[in-house]
Amino acid sequence: MAQPARSSRIGEPVRRKEDLRLITGAGCFSDDVSLPGQAYAVMVRSPHAHARLRSIDAGKALTVPGVIAVLTGHDLLADGLKPIPHRPFSPHPADIPLANTDGTPMFTAPHHALVIDKVRHVGEALAMVIAETIAAAKDGAEAVEVDYELLPAVANTAAAARPDAPRLFENARSNVCLDAEAGDGKATAAAFACAAHVVRFETWIPRVTGVPMEPRAAVGAYDASIGHYTLHAGTSGAWRTKMDLAIMLGVAEDAVRVVTRDVGGHFGTRGMLYAEFALVVWAARRAGRPVKWTCERHEAFATDYQGRDLVVEAELALDKDGRFLAMRGSNISNAGGHTTNFSPLRKGVEIMSTIYRVPAAHFRARGIVSNTAPTRPYRSSGRPEVIYVMERLIDLAARQCGFDRVELRRRNLVTAAEMPYTNPFGMIYDSGDYPGVMEKALTLGDWAGFPARRAEARARGKCRGIGVANYVDTASGVPRERAEMTVHPDGTVDVIIGTVSTGQGHETSFAQLVTEWLGVPFDKVRILTGDTEFVRFGGGTHSGRGMRLASIVIWGASRKIIEKGKRIAALLLECEPGTVEFRDGLFARPGAGRTVSLFDVARGARDLLDLSQDLRGPLAAIADETVSVAQFPYGCQVAEVEIDPELGTLEIVRYTAVDDVGRAVNPAIIHGQVHGGIAQGVGQALLEQCYYDPDTGQLLSGSFMDYAMPRADNFPFFNTEYVEIPSPTHPLGMRPAGEGGTAPALGVMINAIADALSEFGVRHVEMPATPERIWRAIREARGSAGERRR
Amino acid sequence: MTRVSLTVNGQRVSAEVEGRTLLVQLLREHLRLTGTHVGCDTSQCGCCTVHLNGKGVKSCTVLAASCEGATVTTIEGLAPEGKLHPMQEAFREHHALQCGFCTPGMIMSAVDMVRRKGNELDEHTVREQLEGNICRCTGYHNIVKAIQAGAVAMKRT
Repeated sequence: MAQPARSSRIGEPVRRKEDLRLITGAGCFSDDVSLPGQAYAVMVRSPHAHARLRSIDAGKALTVPGVIAVLTGHDLLADGLKPIPHRPFSPHPADIPLANTDGTPMFTAPHHALVIDKVRHVGEALAMVIAETIAAAKDGAEAVEVDYELLPAVANTAAAARPDAPRLFENARSNVCLDAEAGDGKATAAAFACAAHVVRFETWIPRVTGVPMEPRAAVGAYDASIGHYTLHAGTSGAWRTKMDLAIMLGVAEDAVRVVTRDVGGHFGTRGMLYAEFALVVWAARRAGRPVKWTCERHEAFATDYQGRDLVVEAELALDKDGRFLAMRGSNISNAGGHTTNFSPLRKGVEIMSTIYRVPAAHFRARGIVSNTAPTRPYRSSGRPEVIYVMERLIDLAARQCGFDRVELRRRNLVTAAEMPYTNPFGMIYDSGDYPGVMEKALTLGDWAGFPARRAEARARGKCRGIGVANYVDTASGVPRERAEMTVHPDGTVDVIIGTVSTGQGHETSFAQLVTEWLGVPFDKVRILTGDTEFVRFGGGTHSGRGMRLASIVIWGASRKIIEKGKRIAALLLECEPGTVEFRDGLFARPGAGRTVSLFDVARGARDLLDLSQDLRGPLAAIADETVSVAQFPYGCQVAEVEIDPELGTLEIVRYTAVDDVGRAVNPAIIHGQVHGGIAQGVGQALLEQCYYDPDTGQLLSGSFMDYAMPRADNFPFFNTEYVEIPSPTHPLGMRPAGEGGTAPALGVMINAIADALSEFGVRHVEMPATPERIWRAIREARGSAGERRR
Repeated sequence: MTRVSLTVNGQRVSAEVEGRTLLVQLLREHLRLTGTHVGCDTSQCGCCTVHLNGKGVKSCTVLAASCEGATVTTIEGLAPEGKLHPMQEAFREHHALQCGFCTPGMIMSAVDMVRRKGNELDEHTVREQLEGNICRCTGYHNIVKAIQAGAVAMKRT
């Protein structure tokens, strides 16, 4: 058998398997799927943020040529469709619990796929028009007459939390669904009482949206002869979508199949079933033919699960030498129009102290609803928000109390000697060299050479600033994953796994693992995902769990294959199983110079007649593991900006990132993940925001002309490096790399901007730090300085 | 309905279209050339970029009925003999794609950029010229590198 090429093993920047189809237009995204005889669905969506639904009149719509049916929430109830089974918290034991301080249960309310009685955000679907063509369905949707009773709306997070705010759910006491505490209030108060310095920071981390470039699309089919539903759609995990669909349809799990092929981005937005996915399969049953729905971008802006939106009030207490003593404050997370998800609230508050030694902390954590699109975890769920707060607090403390920014961080970073370190909320960080990684980033970013660059920029009339931010990320999420590996006599290896690649290149990096461990050619390994016809369990792709958990189950299955293979090889080599050695795809009888390949053994498993029962059949193994510890990737970014003080425009001139990935499987993919993560974080810091009118809840950023996406000319080339300090809580030492680009990017950008504007006395600029905001901050600071002079 | 006849990827084709049918709909739905993607509804994202009579256009902003007699090249037609176009090869070599949804439009735009700006493209030019193509996965880093390399490679072939 040919030796596997060195270049396809763990640690090599292998060219991606998936790319050939994607660069030639041969990929298969959701809207590329069409089924014979399919009809088309278009949603009738509410233009109002908060309204009681009086009536829907489909009479005119049904006369539009080509319209087949108009389905409403009452049809949905009559057919017994259940609400979307949201899980407000992910089920990982490493995360801290959050519960109402007064002991009452957290408020949740059913979220039906079509509005039953009350609209709670702009874009919520009220009815679905089914027609022969998309155009006919659109014409039909325009002809549906809806009678609304308008209600006062609230979109702003802090306003929605007030007791007198317009209430979304009549059966709730207020819009506050969860009011919890984390940390130790008493110890924190005591620490604040003897602090030499207290720094305060209040901010709002605005609402943004994930914007995967592929808009959602779904095709539903129903086989009446066997009562079986099929959904073709881009998901972050087919198995979980199937289970949720079965719950909504009220049918057995095996009556539903979900097929996901190429997925055009995810970033958290595809982490939960969407109403339309259930609607198309239900409509397929009603219509007696497949039904297809394709989301348009304006619908995506109104109805994709959005992210962030956290109001924070925070204080940091320091002693006279700048050692952190305690922090306290309050976080309010906005779930939008339904009680979809409060995971970002928890994921944030539990690492509020981030990577620093903070002996005591106490935070109030509230989850609220408002008349905005529902939210859920978005790339690095909850962490970029709180890391931004902590990194801003440190820079504010440095300026307020006269410390050096870097020295303050050095003094307070948790050291390797303190590991495992329990933070003041009870999270246990596994390991790492936090100070070493920061120093590496400072060196790569040439922190020491900055004063000269600033002086040079000033000579050109530009204000140059530099910022640094550290991060730690809690990788938890669904703790269980499963791999099913089969070695075929024809020289191929199949791995079935329950993750779905949404751009991360699993077909490549997972195949590298198999090549490494089984010594088989890289191009003979097939990674099979995304179809519940063969995927029997899978937690999907989120929380940095793709490679992190796939490596564990692929490792487990590989070892089982080798053990089983040794017993079969012993028969072929005529020796004792205990003496057989396995290396580079070959089983060997020591000393005899005789070998058989893994594929010979697979043929033996199929063909040998004298095998014991447990060895007969395909050479296959299943690994199904539950990993109840979290991993903690961490790292540091250094960014440098140049601002034109007359225009407020900004250019990023240097951007450095260092991440500890534990063990790198494919360096090219890792760097790519960091690049993209940085762009999403910088996008939030400088450009992006979902704008809702605070009084009406009207969405003002419903297209790419209104929602500012990062473009190529917003960035320089990034300087990214990684270190590999194995994680002791992962059997192979890996730490996820998908979210680290985003986690510190908000903080590092605003720190750099505040530094650039420090000469004007500007203390802070809220996100997104647009040219207008920067320009105003300079003008206001100059104005108040002028007043002081007078 | 209007009958429109045009040449797509070297093949003569003809279809009955409504007045409101867009070129991208003609390509995707009538001709099943699904490599050209629709990423938005305001001509911002560039996922639908194709070459119309040799020039890069966003096919979501062109009415199919206006393409009578036109010549259209899509991503499927960029490498007719099964050999990759140098720009496709460069995207693969430089890991310039992750999810791959924006990629066909990026590649078609990049080839058009070379037509307009030549084979020696500096970083600034590439970034400015990519204004009409949005990617959410890559931070553009490897896309810019791939376009620079692909442009040079196109000169050699």
